[in-house]
Amino acid sequence: MTGAALAPSLAGLILFGTFFGLLFLRVPVAFALGLACLPILIIEPRLDSMALVQETFNGYNSFILLAVPFYLLAANLMNVGGITDRLVRLSRALVGHFPGGLAQINVVLSIFFAGISGSSTADAASQSKIFIEAQRKEGYDDSFSVAITAVSAVLAVIVPPSILMIVWGGVLTVSIGGLFLAGVIPGLAIGLVQMATVHAYAKARGYPTYPRASLVEVVKSLAVSAPALMTPVIIIGGKVFGWFTPTEAACIAVLYAVALAAFVHRELRWGGLRHALLDTGRFAAVTLFCVGTASVFGWLLAYYQIPKAILEGVLGWHMGAIGTGFFIALCFLVVGCFLDAIPAIIIVGTILDPLAKLAGLHPIHFAMIAIVALAFGLVTPPYGLCLLISCSVAGIRMIDALKDTFIMLLPMFAVLVVVIVWPDFVLILPKLISPEFLK
Amino acid sequence: MNAWRRFTRAYAALLNWLLVASVAILVLPVSMQIFSRFTRLIPHYIWTEEMARFLFIWMIMIGAMVGVREGAHFEVDLWPRMSARAQAIVRLFASLAILVFALVFVWAGTEFTRFALNRISELAELPLWVIHVAWPVTGVTWIVFIGEKLWDDLRIALGRAP
Repeated sequence: MTGAALAPSLAGLILFGTFFGLLFLRVPVAFALGLACLPILIIEPRLDSMALVQETFNGYNSFILLAVPFYLLAANLMNVGGITDRLVRLSRALVGHFPGGLAQINVVLSIFFAGISGSSTADAASQSKIFIEAQRKEGYDDSFSVAITAVSAVLAVIVPPSILMIVWGGVLTVSIGGLFLAGVIPGLAIGLVQMATVHAYAKARGYPTYPRASLVEVVKSLAVSAPALMTPVIIIGGKVFGWFTPTEAACIAVLYAVALAAFVHRELRWGGLRHALLDTGRFAAVTLFCVGTASVFGWLLAYYQIPKAILEGVLGWHMGAIGTGFFIALCFLVVGCFLDAIPAIIIVGTILDPLAKLAGLHPIHFAMIAIVALAFGLVTPPYGLCLLISCSVAGIRMIDALKDTFIMLLPMFAVLVVVIVWPDFVLILPKLISPEFLK
Repeated sequence: MNAWRRFTRAYAALLNWLLVASVAILVLPVSMQIFSRFTRLIPHYIWTEEMARFLFIWMIMIGAMVGVREGAHFEVDLWPRMSARAQAIVRLFASLAILVFALVFVWAGTEFTRFALNRISELAELPLWVIHVAWPVTGVTWIVFIGEKLWDDLRIALGRAP
């Protein structure tokens, strides 16, 4: 930027230095991002604090982000409206007889849940309440129960629909329908390796198992869950065939959940509805408020062309497509430890976008590497929201669940490596179903 | 002091109700948008999209206000376990930082609102200040809520609270 009073390197130092300093002093992330912009806005003569207000406004004034509260609301309505109970019954009939039956149900329920909701934190909050106490009673170790609940919750952002895919598509203009399709195979693969991990744990530690469900029970539970299982078909189908925008698809999920709870299951109560709405409002607002301050932060980075300065250094390394893929994953893994996934996409996604283009990565491939890597960040300390939520429900410290969490992440790393080195792993479904998304 | 606490509690309860209402109402314009496209039951209103966005902004701001009172804004905890007093001192600093940010919102937000006084929105033709005023209101509300916290933590830090 010609005429800027600060050199890019100094501006970058002030932004990141203030941000991490405030973070260390336990200032909430959203406020630390906003406050880090203040010194710059004061020093730079062309800018003032109006820019901060204007950019937060621009951040929130987005029809796409509106999908976030809707997916949270759909998830909360599933819990109060009896949809979750029916899916638990189906999961039990399907995998209850595997070693570590209850923990297997935990993983499979997360896959179903992921297909309806797009929010991992909503998944972690609801499944912690369902499973941690129940697994404790059956003799599972607390650290194992917390770890598997939190780690399986991250499936919600990888299996479509996913809030992260919607934000990514909106911020970096990538086809959201294409991202939804691309997430199916990696999501299911991560679900499978998690089930295998549970299997290994259960064999080693002698975790209990349930008797095999009769065929009649399987069919019955499938029948009562069928209306709920239609949700992902409607959402993803509607998006892929272009019937609705992502926000409208999320709204359909809400309306469908209300209709199921009120008319099919007849379990919707006023108190439950109010609770679901309040919970949604609080969580969505706190998450999204951070989007506003992250937008200001990202806007200032762009103002000083700091991304370009960083990239010029990295380009000298000549990494090639796979090397760049690993570099991108590493960036998001590190950033995910300290930042929530949505601000990470707004700040780091836009920084790395030109790098991915230069290396010849397909935009959808790039997005999936980032989203899978960011999913790890949901359970890694110090800022792993899903793990924090599960720990607080179980009443144990995060540090006590870390060992089991990292053991469970190892096989998932293998999936991330496959995502990086084998582009068709994510691109094959969009290629087969709707090739126009790939253009 | 008691009247003060009663006031903040009542104010927080009011904000919680507004939050519930805003999430519930948000569903309406988006649903209308879908139904008007696929059925002939209602006409296709042009303002639904803008309406939804503006309500969405208010929902975020109201939730951010309540979040400060309940300590719901996420933070990264890198500190070891400390005494109650040391924790209060760390919290004091974080609260002061939020207070600074609140003052910026009040100051710049007031400018922002004044700037919009004579403007109307593009589609629904709403007066724009109705949305912009969310910023100064949020700032003032944060000051009210964070003031309560600063007071409590100051007493713990000075050893005057049980």
